[in-house]
Amino acid sequence: MSHENIISIEHVSKRFPVGDGEFTALSDITIYFRRGEFAGVVGPSGSGKTTLLNIIGSLDTPTEGTAVVMGRNISNLSHKESARLRNMHLGFIFQVYNLLPVYTVFENVEFALILQHKSAAERKKAVMEALEWVGMAGMARKKPSKISGGEGQRVAIARAMVKRPDLVLADEPTANLDAKNAHAIIQTMKNLNRELHTTFLFSTHDEKVMSYLDRMVHLEDGKVAKDEFIKTKTTKP
Amino acid sequence: MIKFLVKAILRDKNRSLLPIIVISIGVFLTISLSGYLRGVMGDMIDQTARFETGHLKVMTRAYAGNKDQMPNDLALLGVNELTQSLRKEFPNYQWVERIRFGGLIDAPDAEGESKGQGPSAGLAIELFSDNSGEVERLNIPHSIVSGRIPQKAKEALIGDEFARKLKLDIGDEITYLGTTMNGSMTMESFTISGTVRFGMAAMDKGAVIIDISDARNMLDMENGAGEILGFSDEGVYFDETAKQTEQAFNAYYANSNDTFAPVMFRLREQNNMANYLDYVDSFASMFVVIFVIIMSVVLWNTGLIGGLRRYQEFGIRLALGESKGHIYRTLLTEAVLVGILGSLAGTSLGLAAVLYLQVHGIDISGMMSGTTMMMPSVLRAKFTTDLLYIGFIPGVAAMVAGNMLSGIGIYKRETATLFKELEV
Ligand SMILES: Nc1ncnc2c1ncn2[C@@H]1O[C@H](COP(=O)(O)OP(=O)(O)OP(=O)(O)O)[C@@H](O)[C@H]1O
Ligand SMILES: [Mg+2]
Repeated sequence: MSHENIISIEHVSKRFPVGDGEFTALSDITIYFRRGEFAGVVGPSGSGKTTLLNIIGSLDTPTEGTAVVMGRNISNLSHKESARLRNMHLGFIFQVYNLLPVYTVFENVEFALILQHKSAAERKKAVMEALEWVGMAGMARKKPSKISGGEGQRVAIARAMVKRPDLVLADEPTANLDAKNAHAIIQTMKNLNRELHTTFLFSTHDEKVMSYLDRMVHLEDGKVAKDEFIKTKTTKP
Repeated sequence: MIKFLVKAILRDKNRSLLPIIVISIGVFLTISLSGYLRGVMGDMIDQTARFETGHLKVMTRAYAGNKDQMPNDLALLGVNELTQSLRKEFPNYQWVERIRFGGLIDAPDAEGESKGQGPSAGLAIELFSDNSGEVERLNIPHSIVSGRIPQKAKEALIGDEFARKLKLDIGDEITYLGTTMNGSMTMESFTISGTVRFGMAAMDKGAVIIDISDARNMLDMENGAGEILGFSDEGVYFDETAKQTEQAFNAYYANSNDTFAPVMFRLREQNNMANYLDYVDSFASMFVVIFVIIMSVVLWNTGLIGGLRRYQEFGIRLALGESKGHIYRTLLTEAVLVGILGSLAGTSLGLAAVLYLQVHGIDISGMMSGTTMMMPSVLRAKFTTDLLYIGFIPGVAAMVAGNMLSGIGIYKRETATLFKELEV
């Protein structure tokens, strides 16, 4: 694995119009992430974590500065190009509402591959493999409403991982889970990070998540307050 | 992808059921109303043709100008020759002679005293001629309430209602009082051979039907007739061919100044039929347009609600790497599929209604008692093959239009805002 920067954020600011004025959610942020990192953006509510992840995921664009992800400048991408970037290279895991309720667990994971025009045989193989990774293969035929929150998050991980993305963005993935499930989920991701060298970027204020991170970027009022690299207890199996 | 969409439509009742119901109702109404109104209008036109206008009608210019007064003093003369030449020149039509006459019907009692009188709406047709087709054309065998069709001179059919009003029975005598073609008084007695009810208020009130030879004698109209009617061999009115015939015929007399010269009119030009004929053609398209608009608005609004609910789904799909354009297009594909399903349901229901109303009809005789319109008193729908598909036009168009409108929100909203729905 090369150690080039998978994400380069340079002097990025994001301002939202509110009422007559503007609200500054991110202010002049410069930060880089390298391939294979297992990193997190941490900070109090409203500090700009989600805003930053959305820009990196090309769901939003910076007001100022440049955000380059996988060599692409987010500000310059068309709808189509940003969709393609997400489709081919990024995986997303959200706090809730991750799964499409009308589809089964299998179909939810399969959806990402349908968008990539993979054949049915390829899809089946890849989906089952991804469900194995997260221990959900046995529930492939179930509807999201029939599984627990923790199981749902594991399916979401499988869906993010099934296309073997370069980068997974996880916005507070454990916020709605109990401690046991939270640990299990984060451990699963850590394993995938090690086996597949997928880069993971979290946003979290969950201590349990933080304990697994190799790096924590502290945000406060839209600014980087601290960028710490940690040797965590679970670095080696 | 389509398979994925179909799965979602079938599984998510919220997504499919309401629009399918809305579309079914709209399509049902489109089909049943067009089928019904066409049936009714078609019957009206057909009735009018049979009883009044023919597909083509020849009169003298003078008669045509006053035809509501049945001015037999202005009638055609030498009709034998005229009819012969019509048959020769325009063999695609059946040509028949008729005389309409007004006057008074008197019902004498055993002593010869009048026991009742009433104005008559007399119609003399070629009753005794087997190849005139008039008996069938006026549906007389099925319209007879009692008695039989006249078989010899001086027999008459009278309206059932009329007979009851004058307390007349089969075999009774009636006396016709009126004026001849030359303006002198005439009296003639007839024996009632039967009573009829055509189911048209205008015909049933004072109807007296006799053979045309009796009328000629009684009205002094040797070789004369008020009108000569042409009916196409197909039994259906085609305006284009009727127009050609009409123009060809009228060209013969174009340079004549004679007010008694014959002149031909086609159905469309008589009794304000032009409007009706145009309506019949435009009904289906009118309903299609109306229902496209109504249903689009309804579906747009339900789509808006459904769409809001679905921003979550769109958010996830965007994150999975679908483009906004692709999501929008799948939304429209979905609309087409749902539109087809709804149209299928609506068309089936609509056709069932049309077929039912074609057999049973709706009896409006109670409402029609005052009118003089040539209208059948049982209104039936009519099945035409275009009813099989016209429902799909509003069904699919409305669904697509509705979704197009509500789906614009996908483009209007920032991608990140769509994502807000994913957060608590
Ligand atoms: N579209 C928007 N319009 C206006 N203000 C916004 C918008 N998006 C975010 N904000 C504001 O920007 C600030 C940062 O929001 P962000 O969602 O990035 O915070 P966060 O760190 O993810 O917080 P949390 O831990 O609660 O998720 C917040 O104060 C929020 O209200
Ligand atoms: Mg957040």
